[in-house]
Amino acid sequence: MSSDIIMVIVVGTALAFDFTNGFHDTANVVATSISTRALAPKPAVALAALLNFVGAFLSLKVAATVAQGFVETGAVTPTVVFAGLIGAIAWNLITWYFGLPSSSSHALIGGLVGSVLASAGSGAVEWQGLLDKLVVPAIVAPLVAFGAAGLAILIVYRIVGRLRPGPVGRGFRLGQLASSSLLSLSHGTNDAQKTMGVITLALVANGDIAASNFHVPDWVVIAAASAIALGTFVGGWRIIRTLGTRIIKMDAPQGFAAQGAGAAVILAASSAGFPLSTTHVISGSITGAGAAKRLSAVRWGVAGNIARAWILTLPAAALFGAAVYEVSNRFGTGATGPIVITLVLTATATGLFARRQRQTMPSPATS
Amino acid sequence: MIAAAINTGALLKMLYTSLLASVAIAVIFSLAILGATRSSDMRRARRTRPATAYAALAGAGLILTAAIIAYGLILVANKS
Repeated sequence: MSSDIIMVIVVGTALAFDFTNGFHDTANVVATSISTRALAPKPAVALAALLNFVGAFLSLKVAATVAQGFVETGAVTPTVVFAGLIGAIAWNLITWYFGLPSSSSHALIGGLVGSVLASAGSGAVEWQGLLDKLVVPAIVAPLVAFGAAGLAILIVYRIVGRLRPGPVGRGFRLGQLASSSLLSLSHGTNDAQKTMGVITLALVANGDIAASNFHVPDWVVIAAASAIALGTFVGGWRIIRTLGTRIIKMDAPQGFAAQGAGAAVILAASSAGFPLSTTHVISGSITGAGAAKRLSAVRWGVAGNIARAWILTLPAAALFGAAVYEVSNRFGTGATGPIVITLVLTATATGLFARRQRQTMPSPATS
Repeated sequence: MIAAAINTGALLKMLYTSLLASVAIAVIFSLAILGATRSSDMRRARRTRPATAYAALAGAGLILTAAIIAYGLILVANKS
């Protein structure tokens, strides 16, 4: 009975994480389209939500990697998965609060690694898998996206630089519909699967699925797709603002080059077997598209803050994951710990949302 | 340990494929826009032949762009 309650909490928490993932990462795919006015904000977010939902059904291979590639499955219990998820959600909320586009995927894996470290020690972590599949792509992908977008925009300006700006802007805004759609699909495929992997990992740990017969149940696919699409639809407007206007002021060709290069890097990495963060890639390509036009066009202070959030994500989420596991353990092995922590997190998240709402509301006019 | 863990071949493949794809889509779509804009200019100047040639360039650019996107979708669906 107690383990069933924990499983319900784990599934609910995983879907909440998936929601924050969509909410947090909406910016990755729509910020440039909104910034260049290729799409109005609401249709852009609605299209991204729809394509994230569709994308979640395209493949299940990343789910298997997440469930089996970073930690020893034998060391995982539903409480470990719960603690990892809470660690990731906590870090996502903090970076959302400060408007920083950090990686939800890295937060999820960091949270899981932290809670496994706290519960079973360092022997239960697949360090080589972590380095090969997470750390190296995290360093290389943004740099490649930076270079690819920079090179692309230089060539674009060379070809269309002497044409009338009106038709050129309209043409590239149309092109952005396709490039942002491709990004939305790849995001849904990548990130919804990570939640599917975590829920399946918990189902295996709870004995609901045999480890030898690993498969993602249909209800998990549908629930994860719906949660990420809903989160995307609600949208993280603070991060959209940071990515869309605060790194560089973009024109339509820059937006197209950034999204095109972003999609190319994600797809090339996928076909080469590197799962990577869409956040890292699109931030790198936006900065590259800006820097190639004029180095001073990039607000390097904002870019530096984003880079610091990236570096901190894995250890910070791991720290939160480990701390949550320790706190949960203080209440024993039953469902009390997860229930108490869920209530505390819900109250904290509500407080943060309310505080942010107050800060962003226009102050009443004074006479 | 680190050298053993990192798959250098896959990393290089990702590097050149990304650069190639980014540049290809930028060049092809830019040529489509160049074709469309110049075709419209030529039509206004009543120069039919160049207008048709530029329109063909625009059409070919758009078809190739669509083909690259379709290939991308296939990669997403079959990603490892």
